[in-house]
Amino acid sequence: MEGILFKILGAFLTAILAFVVGMFYGGLRRKVTARVQNRVGPPVHQNFLDLMKLQSKRTNIAHGFMGHLAPVWIIIAAITVLMFIPILHGDLWFNNLTMKGDLIFLLYMMVFGSLGMALGAGQTGNPNSAMGVSRGLAQLAGFEIPFMLSLIALMLQFKTTSISELMQVQESGSWIIVQNPFAFIAALLASLGMFRYSPFDIVGAPAELASGPRSEFGGKYLGTMMTGGAVFAFIKLVMYVDLFLGGAGNNNLEGIAGTALGLVELLVKTFLLYMIPVFIGLVSPRFRTEQAIQFFWKWPTFFGLLAIGWALYKNGTF
Amino acid sequence: MEIIAIILLILLVGSILSFLINRVNKNFTGVTAFLVALASGVVFFTKVQSGYQFNFQLAGLDLQWGLTDYSYYFAYIIFGLSVLALLYSIKYMEGKARLGYYYASFLMTILGMLGVVVSQDFVSLFIFWEIMTWASFLLVIYNSYYKIKTKGIKYMIFSAIGAYAMLTAIVFIRVHYDTLLISEAIAKGAFNFEQYIYIPIFLLLGFGIKAAVMPFHVWAPSAYSKSPMPFTTIFSGAMSKMGIFGIGLVFTTFYLSNDPENFYWVRTILGWLGGITAVMGTIYALIQTDAKKLLAYSSVAQLGYIVVGLSTGTELGVMAALYLAVIHAVFKGALFMVAGAVEKQVGTTDMTKISGLIRKMPWTFFVALVSIIALAGVPPLGGFVGKWLLYEALITESNNYILVVVVFFSSTAAFMYSYRFLFGLFLGQEEKETEHIKEAPVTMIIPMVILAVIAMIAGSYPGLIFEPAAKAMEAIGFQNVSWQMSSLTNIWGDTTDLFLISMMIFAVFIIAFIFLTLKGLKKTRYVGTKDISTSGELPKEWENLTFQIDFFKPFERAAAPLYSMNMNKIWKNLGKNLEAFFGFFRKLYTGNGQTYALFVVIFLVVLLLFKDVIFS
Repeated sequence: MEGILFKILGAFLTAILAFVVGMFYGGLRRKVTARVQNRVGPPVHQNFLDLMKLQSKRTNIAHGFMGHLAPVWIIIAAITVLMFIPILHGDLWFNNLTMKGDLIFLLYMMVFGSLGMALGAGQTGNPNSAMGVSRGLAQLAGFEIPFMLSLIALMLQFKTTSISELMQVQESGSWIIVQNPFAFIAALLASLGMFRYSPFDIVGAPAELASGPRSEFGGKYLGTMMTGGAVFAFIKLVMYVDLFLGGAGNNNLEGIAGTALGLVELLVKTFLLYMIPVFIGLVSPRFRTEQAIQFFWKWPTFFGLLAIGWALYKNGTF
Repeated sequence: MEIIAIILLILLVGSILSFLINRVNKNFTGVTAFLVALASGVVFFTKVQSGYQFNFQLAGLDLQWGLTDYSYYFAYIIFGLSVLALLYSIKYMEGKARLGYYYASFLMTILGMLGVVVSQDFVSLFIFWEIMTWASFLLVIYNSYYKIKTKGIKYMIFSAIGAYAMLTAIVFIRVHYDTLLISEAIAKGAFNFEQYIYIPIFLLLGFGIKAAVMPFHVWAPSAYSKSPMPFTTIFSGAMSKMGIFGIGLVFTTFYLSNDPENFYWVRTILGWLGGITAVMGTIYALIQTDAKKLLAYSSVAQLGYIVVGLSTGTELGVMAALYLAVIHAVFKGALFMVAGAVEKQVGTTDMTKISGLIRKMPWTFFVALVSIIALAGVPPLGGFVGKWLLYEALITESNNYILVVVVFFSSTAAFMYSYRFLFGLFLGQEEKETEHIKEAPVTMIIPMVILAVIAMIAGSYPGLIFEPAAKAMEAIGFQNVSWQMSSLTNIWGDTTDLFLISMMIFAVFIIAFIFLTLKGLKKTRYVGTKDISTSGELPKEWENLTFQIDFFKPFERAAAPLYSMNMNKIWKNLGKNLEAFFGFFRKLYTGNGQTYALFVVIFLVVLLLFKDVIFS
């Protein structure tokens, strides 16, 4: 019984951590963007204020049942994926269900939310939403290829499909970014599409499609979507840190001190990683959808194939 | 009389009976056919166990009928889907012409399929195969009864090629191995590639055409979408699986030998053909504007996955193939039924003409949603299990690392047509023209919902399908196939706990549903699809805000090189070239006696010149 309570408490802690960090990073991105554009910018906690405003609004009109369900799908996907991603090395608090699902499952679960939301966006009847969805799905078919190639390279090189075991590999040896640099490059380029910042922001396309799939949502629904988005940003970053940058919390300290140090390490790593798509986004114009897809099918895919070759060379297949 | 013969007789008599009853009273035809199929299904599952077998002689040939666990597995698909499709037919076909013809052919198709799985010798296999093909051909041309010269001709030609290939293989087996029994042929190594390579190749050709493998898939999209929808459910769901059944049978030799080098090139080529089929089927599915055509192309793609699974030849891979065979029958059956329900209620399945049916046909939408999620392979529904098994088989057990990316690309692109199907028919703008539409009749909803529920249960308890699948695999040469009720494990020991995942998703869903959706449902009012944010401009009544044409144009542009490869064109060119080639030979016959005399002289001269070479 105590074990279950402990687990539930840990799950809550994980969710809160993901939420706070994700929202905070969102605010940070706005601040950085503003500073680059020589503005003062909103305070870092602006996203929290926005969320509070959205949650306190009352929704009066609806666009049908799928519209009501759209934020539900996002929350399901965000929380479920969060529970299966290892946050820290072997930490009791954040060790939710990490051994119960592998990378293929995570890959599929991560699109669950977007697909569910696409359905909600579809029912509103707004052509902007449908256009955004069509672009988003097409772009998905673009960046999933290098991402999958990179994951397959890791699976082949270390003979495991479990993300926890990939972390353990790095515990004793060097980070995977060193062991298979090409896989990291392919995955990093794919992550640009995943974050949907410029040049790959054709999905939401501010000033062109209203805000794409989200056009018709407001109040609590938009707030929930924002929360889900923040959690997802955290998930993607942690996943990349786990896969390529050695994970976090790999220290010898016991108890709370170890956890705290691990969290600090996690924050530093995820922050540095997060700044890559943000800075690229700041200096890039927008790709059209077909340009985006073709981009992903060229260099990132090449690096992905190279990564598989490297993995086969390293594990001794040839 | 043997029980199998009785069941086949029930179907045969039922086929004739439903034809005759239609002459008396059109209202009872469908019910009769349904009851016949149900009765034969009940008799089959209560009286026949796997391992049953009987021999008899016909025209001096030793024939053998019986059931192994492997064929029993396919019998589940045949009867399960046929009975539901016939129940669905009753209302769907109401008021249509040529009901007797339709139901008679339908029952004959079931008879043919059942015959194929119970045949344990090549002669009855071939005969039943032809009954199945011909009966299904009658149904393919059902809607274009008066234009048969042009419609369904592709299906006819390819089926004929397949049948000839199969017959050739059977004759060669008889000549070289002096047997007609399948088990004996396997034991004597007739399907081995070392000795007479053309025997398995011809058999694979015959079965592969039915399973719509590249490059012989071109008949499938038009045949699937032109047939009446209840028939397409079993056409794509069960009958294409007969091809899979056959391919599995041919590979039995390899599975038994337990040697990964055996069959290596054939399996690699077949796997790649399956992968390319999957990609081409998918990318053509997503540019279709007709929902039926979309599903037809998607069926071709899904069959590609199954072929990939079979050709890996590993335990996980074959398990994936057999599992996908069932789950594809389930969700694609449901989806074709959905398309049929829309066709019945609205009159068309052209997605550029209709949209926004969700509020008019909620049950149909529910089934479509569940089946599409299963098709897309998103957890926690049944489709995910198949995808997981297939990927893990390719990554961990075989060395087709590039093939797995091809398959993965196909299933990522499948999200596009999955969404297109739901959006095209059910979401989007509500049109004036569809205001009067009502939900489909109950007897059409029930079979769809049953299939959807199966797809849902399979997501948490795939073991229910793994159990017969494991037995089937043991019948074709695997040993001690391991499976778990609700968790998946690959050979590296990584697991995915499906029950936990489903519970997790379900729990979050309930919480979010109560606190978000229910509240929202109570406190809001529905405003219709014209009341949307359009930057301050109010859309007028007559303004068209529907986005349905060229839905994935950006993707089409990006993948233009892929679209330029069109198998149809290649076949057509081949046909034209053959025509020109044979036209040249026709020119030899000038009708002039002098030319013929010249030929004789030339022949004699050649004979004289090369007499040493020829007669040495």
